[in-house]
Amino acid sequence: MHAANYKLTELMVVRCAKEILDNEVVFAGVGLPLVVVSFAMATHAPNMILFTEGGSIRATAPPGLAITVDDPALFCNGDATFGMLSTMAALQRGEVDVAFIGGAQIDKYGNINSTGVGDWNKPESFTYFAGSGGANDMATSGKRVLAIMPQDPKKFVEKVDYLTTPGYLDGPGARERCGMIGGGPSVVVSTMGVYRFDEKTCEMYLAEYYPGQSVEKVKANCSFELKIAPDVKETEAPTEEEITVLRNIDPTGFYLG
Amino acid sequence: MAVDKLMSLKDAVSKFIQDGDTIYYGGFQIMVPMALTHEIIRQRKRDLITVESSTDVGGLDILVGAGCVKEIHSAWIMNWYVKAPYAIRRAFQTKVTKRYDVSNFAATSALIAGFLGVPFLPVRGNIGTDMLKLNPMDLAMVKDPFTGENIVAVRAWRADVAIIHAQVADRLGNVMSWGTRGVTDEFGAMGAKRGVIVTAEEIVEPEVIRADPDRTVVPYFKTLAVVHCPFGAHPSACRGYYGLDIRFSQYQGKYERSAELLPKFLDEWVYGCEDQNAYIKKYISKFGQEGLDRLKPVLGFKPKYQVDYGYHDPAVWKGVPQYTDEHIKA
Repeated sequence: MHAANYKLTELMVVRCAKEILDNEVVFAGVGLPLVVVSFAMATHAPNMILFTEGGSIRATAPPGLAITVDDPALFCNGDATFGMLSTMAALQRGEVDVAFIGGAQIDKYGNINSTGVGDWNKPESFTYFAGSGGANDMATSGKRVLAIMPQDPKKFVEKVDYLTTPGYLDGPGARERCGMIGGGPSVVVSTMGVYRFDEKTCEMYLAEYYPGQSVEKVKANCSFELKIAPDVKETEAPTEEEITVLRNIDPTGFYLG
Repeated sequence: MAVDKLMSLKDAVSKFIQDGDTIYYGGFQIMVPMALTHEIIRQRKRDLITVESSTDVGGLDILVGAGCVKEIHSAWIMNWYVKAPYAIRRAFQTKVTKRYDVSNFAATSALIAGFLGVPFLPVRGNIGTDMLKLNPMDLAMVKDPFTGENIVAVRAWRADVAIIHAQVADRLGNVMSWGTRGVTDEFGAMGAKRGVIVTAEEIVEPEVIRADPDRTVVPYFKTLAVVHCPFGAHPSACRGYYGLDIRFSQYQGKYERSAELLPKFLDEWVYGCEDQNAYIKKYISKFGQEGLDRLKPVLGFKPKYQVDYGYHDPAVWKGVPQYTDEHIKA
């Protein structure tokens, strides 16, 4: 049964989790990815293996909500806690299936900026955010990239101000020319819909829009000319059960508001 | 002869940190060396260069905001609980502090290169990005000498002094940590040229650490100073001792937001406190003992297998003849 009431963030988390398959090795970045993986492990992907930058490797959901990527909860009854070296090395060895990240800006090729906006060479104009963190390493070498980002025309842009994390760079063949071992962006999940990437052009297109949204509404919240899948469809609303499970993971609404 | 390195926070910083030093800034989102950060601010150290992988709770942000830092080499700097590093943003805009960006694993690899004593290491990330274009000081494209293929190299980062927080240390300078350990603290600390300043929740006898040497992250010969410093990572978490103080990070973050407000925070919580004990006393006076109690962790995650490091005494071979085929029993 579909839930009667849910927030868009909750739908985003539930929808995003479905992109994770059981038995996959998922490298989750800070923020919403941490709650998405807990939800995936509690529902359809009980055999998922969680990696974080803090260096935890675990086959079971953490006993409590993780706020940071080196949160003690991620290490209680973890399978191995060798530190950042071990999980990041697994990326470079090509052993991570899903690189799961967020960011501040994304362009049509799935390039992500988490460094800042403005012109780096004119520091007075540059608004610093944070920097790459592990997102660059994850998106370079993970077999596929899953990105989660609130929908906003300031976030979905024609060209990122600073290219922190590679998507398909300037288009087809660019990743291969750089010798990247990872396959690049596969899905972007926002607060309004779900995007995939055209195999030939490497450009992002809208595959789904959420209940209550529409192609037009999504377009209005995207600053590049958005391609639309011929079979674009409405995302299925979450079920009562899914929302209950999710709220049990984040009972105080730390992530979900 | 082993030297007693236990000293006050004040002495540790005044003796071992000089203006212009390159500092390995320990921790990540947890185990941030906050007490040491406050002391460096109090002593008005200047022109520091920091190297670290990633760092949260605004520790580095207030160090920059207090005017101590001229250069940062890092992958990610945040007060995640206000979603920005405001003081660093201002320092970058006003060109007070230079920022050199690399990815997290490039930063880790830079520290490992320093740990290994080699000039650089190759990394898979950073290629194709603006980090490679805009940070030639740390990143360069090189050719794999064996295949001729392009790969990014990251320069070794070797600090003059490393500052870290740990759960346990002894007076000789052995440092014991568990869980995430320091994420990159082992490498950043061991690569430091002069050595390591450590604050620890507890000081134990050297015999305690020697009975469990797998958990030693920094051995005594690398350590310059040991400071007994409960809550030395606050408001970040210290595994097994206290959790992240989100509300305080948010409170501090409000002051990080503007150049006018930050000095008020520093006056109250840094300059206005003689040391970490005074800071914690102030915390209790403002937020009550219940504020501190709220940070207590959920415990009970102890190892279930009691290890024994036992050794074998080769004296048992004394007088035992060589094994020959005749020894094999029919």
